[in-house]
Amino acid sequence: MGDKDANISADELQYVQYQDDKEELYLPAIRQLISKDLSEPYSIYVYRYFLYQWGELCYMALDANNTLIGVVVCKLEPHRSGTFRGYIAMLAVQEAHRGKGIATKLVCMAIDAMAARDADEIVLETEVTNTASLKLYERLGFLRSKRLHRYYLNGNTAFRLVLYLKPGTATKKPHGDLNGNVGEEQGIREAHPTLDGTHVP
Amino acid sequence: MDPKMDGGFLQPGETLEDNYDTLKALLPEEVLGIMDQLLCHEMAWHTGNPLSQTLFTSVYIDKILWPEPKTLEQAQFYRGEVSDSRRPDLLLEVLRAYCLALIKCCDFVIAKVTSRDYFEEEDFCTHTYNRVLFVQVPIDVFLRELDVAVESLQDPDLSISADLCEAIITRLEFRKHFLTALDLDCPLEHLDRYWPPISSHLSSINSTYHLGKPVPGSFSTKIQRRLASTVPPRPIVELDFKDAFSKLQQLCLDCEEGTRFTHLSPDPLEYQSFLWAFASRTPTPLPYARSYLANILFHPNTLNTSTTLPLTDLQCLIFTCSPVLDPQNWALSPPLNPLLPKPLRHQLALIIDEFIERTGQNYLELWTALGQNRSRLRRMLNHVILGWDQLQVDANTLDEEIMAVVKEMQVQEQVLVYPLTTWVYHKKLWMIEKIVMLGFEQDIYLPDEFAGMYGFLERVARRRVDLLSNIYAHYEEQEKQYLRAKPPKLEMAAEVEGAARYIESLLAEATGVCELSGALFRFYTVLLYLRLLPTPNRPFSTPELRYELRMKPFLTLSPPEVPPFEEHHEQLHGFGPYDNPEPSLLLALQNPISELWKGIEDGIKRAKDSFSQLKKLGPKAAKVEGVDKAWGKEVQGALASCIALGVAVVGIKTAVKECDENGKVAVKVEIPEMGSGKRYAEGWVVGKVVKE
Ligand SMILES: CC(C)(COP(=O)(O)OP(=O)(O)OC[C@H]1O[C@@H](n2cnc3c(N)ncnc32)[C@H](O)[C@@H]1OP(=O)(O)O)[C@@H](O)C(=O)NCCC(=O)NCCS
Repeated sequence: MGDKDANISADELQYVQYQDDKEELYLPAIRQLISKDLSEPYSIYVYRYFLYQWGELCYMALDANNTLIGVVVCKLEPHRSGTFRGYIAMLAVQEAHRGKGIATKLVCMAIDAMAARDADEIVLETEVTNTASLKLYERLGFLRSKRLHRYYLNGNTAFRLVLYLKPGTATKKPHGDLNGNVGEEQGIREAHPTLDGTHVP
Repeated sequence: MDPKMDGGFLQPGETLEDNYDTLKALLPEEVLGIMDQLLCHEMAWHTGNPLSQTLFTSVYIDKILWPEPKTLEQAQFYRGEVSDSRRPDLLLEVLRAYCLALIKCCDFVIAKVTSRDYFEEEDFCTHTYNRVLFVQVPIDVFLRELDVAVESLQDPDLSISADLCEAIITRLEFRKHFLTALDLDCPLEHLDRYWPPISSHLSSINSTYHLGKPVPGSFSTKIQRRLASTVPPRPIVELDFKDAFSKLQQLCLDCEEGTRFTHLSPDPLEYQSFLWAFASRTPTPLPYARSYLANILFHPNTLNTSTTLPLTDLQCLIFTCSPVLDPQNWALSPPLNPLLPKPLRHQLALIIDEFIERTGQNYLELWTALGQNRSRLRRMLNHVILGWDQLQVDANTLDEEIMAVVKEMQVQEQVLVYPLTTWVYHKKLWMIEKIVMLGFEQDIYLPDEFAGMYGFLERVARRRVDLLSNIYAHYEEQEKQYLRAKPPKLEMAAEVEGAARYIESLLAEATGVCELSGALFRFYTVLLYLRLLPTPNRPFSTPELRYELRMKPFLTLSPPEVPPFEEHHEQLHGFGPYDNPEPSLLLALQNPISELWKGIEDGIKRAKDSFSQLKKLGPKAAKVEGVDKAWGKEVQGALASCIALGVAVVGIKTAVKECDENGKVAVKVEIPEMGSGKRYAEGWVVGKVVKE
């Protein structure tokens, strides 16, 4: 990336939804962008897991040359607790373009998309020291719900952030379970893309 | 290929196997260097990293463990036959003895950690990748190997410089004592003997570290390729000696502290205080130390007391000298004719037995939670309270029965109304308070949530104050009755008086929590009106939704019922909306003796008085004799927080007097960060007012 590009503003970019038929075009760039910034090692299967099933919840910021500047990757599915839960799995913006609201815009699009698909809540994890990410999500309305000791493979601790979109989310119960109380705490990494073997084909 | 994905990725020209020769003679400083590097890896493992990225990266350890030796004799730095000229020399034998004992240490550690609740990967990695860590070989064998190694180094003809030789011997001795202390079969009553000898070697290990010479080639990521695992190879975890050493020191200290549990009087409330204090230690105890304590706690000797622990707890809080727990009740047997009513006292015994049986699981869950890492402790308590909530429903039913029986016995004035419910409810409220305090401690709440959460805490603690006041009044009345009896029942009066001291101490503590959280709630509400706290605009959220999320753990509890959102909102908006407050707000703020300020300042004063009272009543009354120092610090921290809040209030009062016509003040509020040492107590977050 050239420094000359760095002064383009957030509005000059195009924000587009990921499309399956463009995998060859975008997937390598997405992988490259994310693996550069996230501490977790994600295999190609992890990306496919999200993009095959929830490609419409992935948004990309592209510059005039179609270079990938930022990306957000999500999923949305019924959760054990009984809620329809959105999950923001990955978010990254190229270093030279940070602080211009690009990630904010991407996340807003993802939230809107999940809300339109009837999500009850949206959750994610982020390292307790990731000030930029905490600030971004908390400005949008997320609250910290838990601290997760040694959540990441590198031993770092995470906050779980949660955004409720609908009233009554807290008291939702799983279908067919009258007591409601499935131990939420089976594993802290339940939603974690790499560590739950079931996610990886 | 992403190097983060695959640490074993071959660089051009690299080979798959290691060429490191484990039979090559080593210099004494190299042996020392390797020992210390192994110690670093051992501690990196203790802090939660897998063996594959720590100890199992050592070529020496690998050689000993793989291919799996059938006997200890086979566990060498080679397999099969070697020519005499290649036989390991004395120093290699010394290193081998050290490695063998180190491996056995790991075996003991894994056995202890897995014997209690722990969470794989989050706390600790127990995976051994099909390596057998000499599970079957008894400890004596390793101790003997170490002794032989020490002896061989004491040979006067040896041409190793004295200081290096001494340094190696110190490490062997340390390993011997460490292994002994980790032994699973240490008798409970002598546990405290094992740790002091280790500490005595630690400082000389530290002071001779510089003599060692690292041998980086003897550690390799390539070994990971051969460890059966689904995870791709990951980089070696580098923990430097200084950090590793302080972890080791901490581990020994924490375990030594844990052994003090064996000296506690057999009182579940002392146990609870001890567990709480242990979990609150900073730095937070390592998983092994927590398992070590849990193993003492759940040891049959601890649990098998003549009176079950929950019953002792119940007796102390509610039924001191009560006819309900009269031992005579248990001496009666049911009538032979099952159609005849059971004797009343016998009925009481049956009810209590049923209840105590029912509490066992809930009690266990609470103790288990208290043994977890602090983040998990908070999350686990959220679940534990649900169990206690259920228990409270059952307690209520049994209470009806108790009250009917004691009425028939005409001793109802000697029994607190709803005794079992009171006991369960008290514990539950205590846990809810801890959950909220832990939330503050762990930076879960954002500054603009402080007012609401301290307001909730005040509410919960107020309930506990009310409960305790009832119990206290009941005990006072009992004491009077015993003194008035003819002849006076002095012994019983004294016993009730003793129990009342405990209630008094709890009451002082609960009042302190209630008043201080109330004052903080009011203080932070003022700051919200003055727009002194960062308040995100949150386009995707509403106050109702956030309140629901915050109250989630408590929504199903009854009691205490979570107040409806409207009530919560009103409580926080006494002067209307924050961006458009009623004019009376500014008047109240600028009047130093307004109800608003008086409310806060009187609250601080009452909090201070209560915490001082708690301190004065002392550790015995509080049942914290086993951890009196930690407890003293906690109380002192609460007192200091009261003072800090008083100072902050003065800061704001001064600032509002000098504010401009729009009510804008020229100060800002700094929120002390967790763990920064700027909070007097981690759960009491008091903003600091500074001039802008
Ligand atoms: C997190 C990340 C995606 C943010 O991207 P971005 O486009 O810079 O984000 P935005 O500009 O929309 O907003 C970021 C906010 O954080 C602030 N911020 C950025 N860096 C910061 C820092 N080091 N300290 C404090 N705040 C910081 C920005 O100022 C901005 O807030 P503001 O608008 O109130 O000033 C980007 O930093 C990134 O890619 N990081 C690496 C990957 C990562 O951490 N992902 C999130 C984990 S799931």
